[in-house]
Amino acid sequence: MLDLLIRFQNMDRRWVFLGMALAIVLPMLVPFSLPFKVDQRVQDLYDRVEALEAGDTVYISADFDPGSRPELEPFFRTHLHHLFRQDVRVVMGTLWATAPPLVKPILEDIAQEYGKEYGKDWTFLGYVEGKELAIKSLGQSVRKTYPLDDRGNKTADLAVMAGLDAMRDFDILTSVSAGFPGTQAFVLQIQGQYNLEMASACTAVSAPDYIPYYQSGQLFGLSGGMPGSAQYEKLVYASVPPEKRPRLPATSGMNVLSIGHLYIIILLLLGNLAFFLTRGGEEN
Amino acid sequence: MDLLAITGLLLSIFLTLAILSFLFDDNPIYKFAEHLFMGVGIGIGTIEIYYGVFQPKLILPLLEEHRLLSIFPLLLLVLLFAKVTRKHQDWARIPIAFIVAAFAGVKLTGEANGRLLEQVRASMPDLQQLYETSGWWDWDNGGAGVISGLVLVLGLCACLLHFYFSARHNRPMRTISRIGILTLMLSFGASFGFTVMGRISLAIGRAEALLGLDQPNTLIQLGSMEVHRMTATRWMTVGTLLLIIVSIAALRRRTAPDSSTS
Repeated sequence: MLDLLIRFQNMDRRWVFLGMALAIVLPMLVPFSLPFKVDQRVQDLYDRVEALEAGDTVYISADFDPGSRPELEPFFRTHLHHLFRQDVRVVMGTLWATAPPLVKPILEDIAQEYGKEYGKDWTFLGYVEGKELAIKSLGQSVRKTYPLDDRGNKTADLAVMAGLDAMRDFDILTSVSAGFPGTQAFVLQIQGQYNLEMASACTAVSAPDYIPYYQSGQLFGLSGGMPGSAQYEKLVYASVPPEKRPRLPATSGMNVLSIGHLYIIILLLLGNLAFFLTRGGEEN
Repeated sequence: MDLLAITGLLLSIFLTLAILSFLFDDNPIYKFAEHLFMGVGIGIGTIEIYYGVFQPKLILPLLEEHRLLSIFPLLLLVLLFAKVTRKHQDWARIPIAFIVAAFAGVKLTGEANGRLLEQVRASMPDLQQLYETSGWWDWDNGGAGVISGLVLVLGLCACLLHFYFSARHNRPMRTISRIGILTLMLSFGASFGFTVMGRISLAIGRAEALLGLDQPNTLIQLGSMEVHRMTATRWMTVGTLLLIIVSIAALRRRTAPDSSTS
């Protein structure tokens, strides 16, 4: 037994990676369903969006890239479905140079699916450089920060922007954030100053940093990583019959995530057990 | 024939497996993929910055709208490049001073507004209100309640006292300090847990792409016949994996020191 534990401690790390690969791939090939609960942070986000009325306008800052796609794209898609389903107008921009090729086609597809008209019901303003300075500028005037939209139209002339300029003119600000610049910069620069109603969907790595913003009321809702996205999918598609639902990537990823976590917990337990049991033997 | 779709699919499979091959060992295929990602990332960034910043904020105002004030940012930009010459490098301090001053101002107000005031206020929970909304401990609301509020306040005080070095760390201070360390360890543990979750999520995303589960019902046109994208993806993944394994083995054999010469 002791020999086995010593061998386990000295095991080549590549076996751990292989085990992890199997822990991820096998549950995908043999699908199953584990239940999960909706967090209060996601429930609050959903409830606030549900309370929006037709004609209200939401500003989405889509600040993520392909590296964080599995965690944030499911939320982003579901959020757009949720907003368009309620006839809410969407104005979207990004502070990440690598985001437009990823987020623009998704917005275009979903807007088309709901028969929404560009410029009237939604617009994509494109990318703006400047990080926190750009955020500060957005707080004062979206039109000046983005003089032209992504298609080269004057932002001020778009019907969707009628009566809207400063960030506080929008009913909700949603930050889909994979890091800097993102949710934290929005909270620090303009949320408090203009008392904005702001929600965030962030990567799991950022979630512990943003939870205090939710607890202090600076964010009215927060979706953290893939579990947050899965919980939001669960709420948004609860009223849709299963046969009519699109593929829900975060929900299907949750089962795999659970098995992956279980594998790491087992490794942690075995590693600690081996360390404490073999410590005396090695000292002798 | 969906040649573009198949090429894109094959490229994404190859690059994913090439990056993952680093888990086995550092190798030239991984290096190639890494350099390609860097190059493409910088390329996309440069184009986006040109069309998103230079064109609307400098070139168009100067050349089409004839706004002479736009000469100043251009001048600052030119001065920034003075850094590369030894003789005139001091001129670069002017634009750098602008950048530093602007960011210092923005950061200071932001931190004071968003973090300091709001977070200090939030670290003093209203226990009466907490009791009315969540009781002592609410399992359905992530453990919210009076106990959590007390843990927050006491943990925060213990952490602050742990870093208070002006008082001698006698026995009571040491006990408080240990509670502070425990609170910090719990916080680091939570952050680590979230980080692990994030990394597994990314792995799930790539595994779904390699198994064709991201678009399970899509069909690809191959000449006159239609094939399921998922089936094609899986065959391509297996083929590419074998190709990478054989290539790495061949490269290692070639670069391995010849035992006959030693």
